[in-house]
Formats: sequence, structure tokens, C-alpha cells
Amino acid sequence: MQELLGRLRALDPEASEGLRVIACFDELMAGGVAAHGLLAAAAALAGTATGMRRGGVTVRVDPRGETLAGAAPAECATAEVTSGAVAWIERDPGHPRANDALILERLALALRLRLDPSLDRVAVQRDFATAVDPARPHIERMDAASRLRLTSGASYRVTVAPLFATWRRHPEGPEDVVSTPFGPVHVAVILADAEVDGAPLGVGGIATIDDLPRSFRTALIALRLHDDRAAAPVRADDLGGLAELLADLPEHEPADRDAAGMNAIMEHSWGPATVDALVRTSTVREAARAAGIHHSTMTTRVETVQGVLGFDPLGGLGRTRLGIAFLRWRLRNSHVLELPAPAAAPAAR
Amino acid sequence: MASVRIDPELKAALAVVGGVFPPTVTPELVPFMRQSYASPPREQVLADQRLHAVDLEFAGYRGARIGASVVSPTGAPDAQPLPTVLVFHSGGMMFGDRFSGLDTALAWVPDLGIRLITVEYRLAPEHPDPVPFEDCYASLEWVAAHATQLGVRADRLLLAGASAGAGLAAGVALAARDRGGPALVGQLLDYPMLDDRGRTASTRAFDGIGVWDRISNETGWRALLGDRVGTDDVSPYAAPARATDLAGLPPTFLDVGTAEIFRDETADYAARLWDVGVDVELHVWPGAFHACDIFAPHAAVSRGMIRARTDWLRRILVD
Repeated sequence: MQELLGRLRALDPEASEGLRVIACFDELMAGGVAAHGLLAAAAALAGTATGMRRGGVTVRVDPRGETLAGAAPAECATAEVTSGAVAWIERDPGHPRANDALILERLALALRLRLDPSLDRVAVQRDFATAVDPARPHIERMDAASRLRLTSGASYRVTVAPLFATWRRHPEGPEDVVSTPFGPVHVAVILADAEVDGAPLGVGGIATIDDLPRSFRTALIALRLHDDRAAAPVRADDLGGLAELLADLPEHEPADRDAAGMNAIMEHSWGPATVDALVRTSTVREAARAAGIHHSTMTTRVETVQGVLGFDPLGGLGRTRLGIAFLRWRLRNSHVLELPAPAAAPAAR
Repeated sequence: MASVRIDPELKAALAVVGGVFPPTVTPELVPFMRQSYASPPREQVLADQRLHAVDLEFAGYRGARIGASVVSPTGAPDAQPLPTVLVFHSGGMMFGDRFSGLDTALAWVPDLGIRLITVEYRLAPEHPDPVPFEDCYASLEWVAAHATQLGVRADRLLLAGASAGAGLAAGVALAARDRGGPALVGQLLDYPMLDDRGRTASTRAFDGIGVWDRISNETGWRALLGDRVGTDDVSPYAAPARATDLAGLPPTFLDVGTAEIFRDETADYAARLWDVGVDVELHVWPGAFHACDIFAPHAAVSRGMIRARTDWLRRILVD
């Protein structure tokens, strides 16, 4: 994999190798991979053997995952795993390679989580995840935010992107990979008026360091509403209060009548484009124009929609119900975090 | 269909692999893939001091000059007849070169004391079917006809390939049987690309996941077959799953992962070979994505995969 990282660098110097190393270890930790697998992955990433000594026992693993006999070289970069356990990358510390320090840091973290059963995972959770996690106590989030050099009183936004998003303007600010129920995502905190551009990308609402979890959740909603990889970032600001409303939905929401009705409408090939046109416009005629169909066809479809939903989708609160049911359907059917990034950008160079 | 778990070590590796080999290869991505899947410089590929390579040319389909490399153990006399593996590289019929994804096969040379001959068959879409297949078939005839000069034991010749290369190897084995071609002691088919029809459940189960999904496969088959893809006008030499008679094929090694689109067509090919009495060893590796041994050879599942293959070769090819 070291060779792959090298290729990555050659193909696209901006392809965040570091983030990929972090994401790799995140998956290893999430998957409960044992010490040998962790050492093997680190060796494969570094392109040289790695090792660990614990309680007088030494384990060394080469980049092809095979166990090596013998003692480690006298000189190599080491990191403490726990008291009494140390890990290393077998490279002359005078000549480190690009990602050695990061790989060793992540290896030590992963080994620590794996080998110390007494360890509370949260205790070593990174500051970043803490700062955007509403479940963490206020004081911990404040401490984590200040270690990230975010200041109280300033206005920020959280941005959320899939790990392999394409950046036109990379966020300037602390960033990391954070696990979500929808998979690991790339999260950054930027100043509220800073520019950022990438695809796919969700930009959260304005927040002080105290509100980062809320901005994070609205950014995640915005990202999950992203349905066209080439489109501009989705901004929680454009959804106003809806972003927070949607962020508060349970992960597995019960299928109520509006949700069931919207599912049934979307079974029609015309469903998504028709409802999208209806929620973006204010009359049947405008909706028909937006969808590129005759207004009598739109009228027939609106009647079908009304029949299925059991209320007038264009009258009073019916419009709101339609809009919310549509947004919830899009969230249920969001694929933005499942899709890999196309590596098309480097080919164009 | 319920989703298949990807082995955690391999899932982690995908975080890196995805930047070089995206799961979904569309025709627009082919130029990028040709860059990203090109083999590293020769001195890296052949860094192992225990082997060396000689470049040669042979007459491919309709006489075109096609490159090949004969890789031999260091110290073996050039003319000494050695058991030989003729290998066709991976790359979806559209990319890769004679040394792409070949690390494991290269290690056989010193480890097993064999020669490895790898072929630069021409690629689709510039060279559609039957060019890639006929180039590969011509390489088999060339190796057999020049066995003495090449230091090949003609009675110990085995075909191997991975992915598209395995599809080509399976097609060449069928043609060697039908055309009265050179005798083969076996065919080693790693996660072979056998069927242009995309009919299996596994074909549809991994959209956007891992390496080589349904869309990538359609891209490859369409590049190779053009508008003939999925029609009755496709030769079993191009898509060996279409062969109705598999009798008389040599002993066959098949491996595949549970988390890849070729899972079902590989298992089906094995079952049909057993039906007609061909010796088949089939390994289905749990949680493995396509070509995980190439991209993540350090992972435990990949190492098992590599070891099983080497063990089979040791039994069937060498003394």
C-alpha cells in the first residue's frame, strides 16, 4: 500500500494521503482488527517492517504481512502504546518518509485501543470527534475545541464531506475523519465567512464553539441531501429551520403515513422529478414548466399525488407536509456517502 | 440481497486503494486507469535479485508484433527446460501491461524454480475482440513452438491469469482444446472475468463498492465486444461462461472473494467443470474484494489466497 500511496501522490498531489491513512486506521479500529493485522497494515502503508514489544515479547511484521524473526534494528522511530508496550516503524529515524509519523501515531492509538481492555474508548477519542459530539459534556467539548485552537466568541461552520470528495477549495481549519451512522466522513471547522468548495460537500449553519455539534449535524443533513456529484455544496443555511428539524429525526424513523405515501409516489418513474418541481415552484403551471411537461399532465400527476397522500399537496400545510416528506425521502435514499469519489480529476491534468 | 461483509483489514485497505482504483470505472476513466494501473518502473518490478527478465517479441493476431517477457530464476541456464507459467495480466481488458498486478506471480519464479512468461496483449477498446484473445492464443502457440529456445518444458506448461487475464486464460484453454493446440497441465484462474451477460446476483450486489463493480464490468465488456455485448454473437473464447461444453479442460484452480461481482460466475464455472469430470480446486475467500491480493497482499485473507495458489502450483507444476 506504500506503493499505492506513492501512486496517489504522483497522480494527484492534492489527494489527501494523510486522510486516507487516518481512514484506513479508523476502519481497522472499527473492525476490531487484532495486533498482527494492525502491524501488517502499518508496515504495508510505510513500506517497511513494523513491530511491537510488550511484556518482553517482540512481534515484527513485514509489509506483506509475514512475521519476521529476530530483534528489531537498534535505531528506529518508536511510540509508546501503553506503559510497558512500545511500537515502532523500522526505518532510520534520520531518514523518515512522508507519512511515517502519522502512521506510527495511528498504529500506537489502534494498538492501545486493541490491547488495553480497561481503556474507555471515549477517553482517547480525538479532540475533533469530541468537539462535534453533542453527547459529550460541555466542558470536554470546550477543552477539545480549545486544543484545536478554536476560540470562543468566533463564528464557525462545520463542513462534512465523504472521505474522497473532490476539492476545488479545501477547507482551512482543523479537519479529521469522524464516524457517523452513515459511515466515516471528513469533517472540518472553518470560519463562518470562509470560502470552501468541493463535491460532494455539506456546509453547516453558523455556530460558536459551543454549537459545533449542531452545525455538524446540519452539515451532515446538507451533505446527505446532495444528489448530484457535480453540483455546488449544499448549505444548511438554505434549508433554514428545516435543517435542524431533519437533523433531529431518529436514525431509523418509523414509516408514518406521509413517508409511506411518498415512497409509493417515488415508485413512479415520474415521481422524483415531479415532486421536486412542485416543491420548488408555487403553481402547477410553473411546476409543469420546471419539469418540462404539459400542465395538464402535471395536473393529472398532482391528482395522483393527492390520492396517494390523502391531502392536497398544494394547499395550506399540505405544501409543508409535501416538502418535508420529500426531503425525508431524499435522506432515506441518500447515496452520497456510499459512492466512491471518481478519480476523474487527475486524468484531466 | 443482504449485504456481504467486507473483511475489516480489507475494508481498511480500500480507504487507500479507492484513490488509485475507483470502484466504478466508466469509459471516461479509462485514460486515468491506464496511468494508475501501469506497472511501476522495471527496476522496482524486478527488484528481487533472485530473478531476471528477458524481453522478446512474437507474432500476435494477424502477425502484429507483440511484446513478452520471459522471467527466469537467477542462475538457471537459459536453455534449461523449466516448468513454465504463461500469464495474462489483469486490467479489465482495457488497461494494465505485462507487469501490472504481477508481484505474486513473479515470486513463483524463484520460489518454485519456474519460468514465467507474461504477454503484452493488445487492449480494448482500440483493439476489440478477438484481438486480445487471439494475441494471447498466439502467445501459447509461440511458447510451445519455441519451447527449446525459451527453456520451457513443453510437458509442464500452465496458463494463469487474474480477472480479465483469467478470462483470457480460460478462453485460450478452451481454444487449445478445440484447435488441437499445445497441451496444458493446468489453468489457474484468479477471480476470472467470464461472462459478459451480467446475469448473477453477485454482479448486482456491489455497486460502488470495492474494486470492479457492475458498471466497471459493463465498461470492460462493452469496450471488448461493442454492440455485441449480451447478444448471441459472442464467442465462448471471449466470454468462457458461454461455452456449452467444458469437457476435456485441464486441471483448474479457481479463486474468488465473497465480496465481489465475479463470485457467482466463478462458482458456477467450477460446478460446471466438476459436472464434466474436470479436476477443480475452488476457493471462495470470505470478505475478500476483487483482486485484494494485488492491492492489499498484507491482509490475512490475501495471504491465505496467495498461499493456496502457490501450494496448488507446487503440487501440479513442479517436482
